[in-house]
Amino acid sequence: MKNYIISFVLLTSIFSLKGNTLLNDSGTFINSETLLYCDCDTCGCGVNGGSMGFGTGLNNNFIGLRYIAQRYRSRDGIFDNSPWINENFNTMQLWTQLPIGQRFMVDAIIPYQFHSREFSDNTEQYINGLGDATVLGFYQILKQTTDIIRFTKPQHILQLGGGLKIPTGKFKEENLEGSVNPSFQLGTGSWDYLFAGNYGVTHRNWGLSLMANYTLKSKNDKEYRFGNQFNYALNTYKTYYFGTNFALTPQVGVGGELFEKNEEYGLVVNDTGGNVFFGKAGFEINYKTLALGVSTMLPIVQNLNGGRVEVKNRFSVYLNINIPLKSNKGNQQLPQFSQFPKEKN
Amino acid sequence: MKSFYKISFLLFLLVFVSSCSSDDGGIVELTGKGMVKIEFDNSMDGDDLLLSSSSYTNSQSETLTVSRLNYIVSNFSLTDEYGNIFSYPKDSGYFITSEESGNTEVVLSDVPAGRYTSMTFGIGVDQEKYSQGAEGQGDFLTVAEETNMMWSWQAGYKFLNFEGTFTSPTVTDDKNFKIHMGSHGSSLDNYKETTLTFDTQALVSDDLSPIIHLVVDASFILDGINKISLTEQAVIMVSEEKSPKIAVNVSNMFSVDHVHNGNDISH
Repeated sequence: MKNYIISFVLLTSIFSLKGNTLLNDSGTFINSETLLYCDCDTCGCGVNGGSMGFGTGLNNNFIGLRYIAQRYRSRDGIFDNSPWINENFNTMQLWTQLPIGQRFMVDAIIPYQFHSREFSDNTEQYINGLGDATVLGFYQILKQTTDIIRFTKPQHILQLGGGLKIPTGKFKEENLEGSVNPSFQLGTGSWDYLFAGNYGVTHRNWGLSLMANYTLKSKNDKEYRFGNQFNYALNTYKTYYFGTNFALTPQVGVGGELFEKNEEYGLVVNDTGGNVFFGKAGFEINYKTLALGVSTMLPIVQNLNGGRVEVKNRFSVYLNINIPLKSNKGNQQLPQFSQFPKEKN
Repeated sequence: MKSFYKISFLLFLLVFVSSCSSDDGGIVELTGKGMVKIEFDNSMDGDDLLLSSSSYTNSQSETLTVSRLNYIVSNFSLTDEYGNIFSYPKDSGYFITSEESGNTEVVLSDVPAGRYTSMTFGIGVDQEKYSQGAEGQGDFLTVAEETNMMWSWQAGYKFLNFEGTFTSPTVTDDKNFKIHMGSHGSSLDNYKETTLTFDTQALVSDDLSPIIHLVVDASFILDGINKISLTEQAVIMVSEEKSPKIAVNVSNMFSVDHVHNGNDISH
């Protein structure tokens, strides 16, 4: 039943998009200045969500591919001398952000996961398959005004939204192996609900963004419920323009994730939940409608699963094609500096 | 405006989906009978016990390398959330866990469905069982003989067989130690019981067989409430003074690490 409903929702949203993508007034600039994009990457890290906080800009409408690598280690056993095992979470995502009308936009992520871990007896475990797809809708309370004003005073952006994570990824009870990372899964197996907010301010080439999201997780059909999750991130960035076709945007930031404890049969699972605080750095290169981004996250402070799971690092690389939209306001005057030319046709 | 309607419709659908998938409060009906597995995970002061390879230094400056850790556990009973007690049948209620054989799991079968909150069990063999005579012991007598857990029928069961080598400030070469603790016939009763409370309820039903994962800290045997010096005496068997102290130490070496609910899962 759920599947039918969700298919319907997806179809509806796709249908809506088709009708409206060409009616956006935000012009055609293709740089990534705002870098606010909340990917709410609820299933990046196995299922924990590697909130690789930044992506392309708010005004961008794109479709792209992103690869996320997350390295963890977790303790195989309950003792101080129990061996650490390495866990590699790999995700390839098809992701997109598209506007619907003037003030709405929709983000969607379809991940493919390929994870591996090596136990102390040298046996390896691999899981791969579709992860949990996420659909998010945002309402833009404050949005950037036209291009001309943009460069004279700071611009504020505020978006609020919500969405759904769909259990398209398999959850297997067998993967709850011992005390090692319970998130070694393709998906949570649950229908999860997201609430998200993004705020950004840009001035000239500079930008600052703040994003926060909360994932309310439900229990899956194996009676396992992953703990609710709160993600936040703060990023700053500056865009450098090289000629008319190239731009480079380095960025640094911090971000964090807080997890409530997991539950099984309605009972709290020991040594789950926790928090991690990251430092992040990355850059995005734009060439015409293409955006290539690289970012890395390193933990500064962490306490996950009672200290039995540690994040080592996260790395992501993406290639997006920005979808230029026709303006419904005719030919806009673009500032003479710092802007890419409009797409021909 | 058109898009506004579409979005409204979309949001409506989202709400609809979320309302029909809201969970049912996590109340699981428990009926029938299930299995309860109890894992005795042996350790030494926070470290996994690795026989004959790792060493450990206690508060008395004695460094031990353990080569054997066997003990008898018995008379399991489980208490549910309402205080009802299920006592496992005494005839099949005696088990030997042995680190060297890797046999460290006790399986209780046909446990009635319920939400269990604590467990009581004995370490060793009680006088009631022993007084049933050799015939009354059934297969357990053979098992005990095979696992070095008997002196002789007259002398009785070894409740604990703890062996290895040690060094200390005054014993600089590796010296063997043997701690064999038990009741000696009916004259010295060292049978003890311990009660452990679960931090998570253990759910039992036709579909649910929990694993109760215990940590057994073998450093307690000599270095618990009572301090037993190997330098003073390295072989302790029939000792009216030391055996009862060791029995008290042993009854305190068990704790619950976690309860794993589910069915046919590893722990």
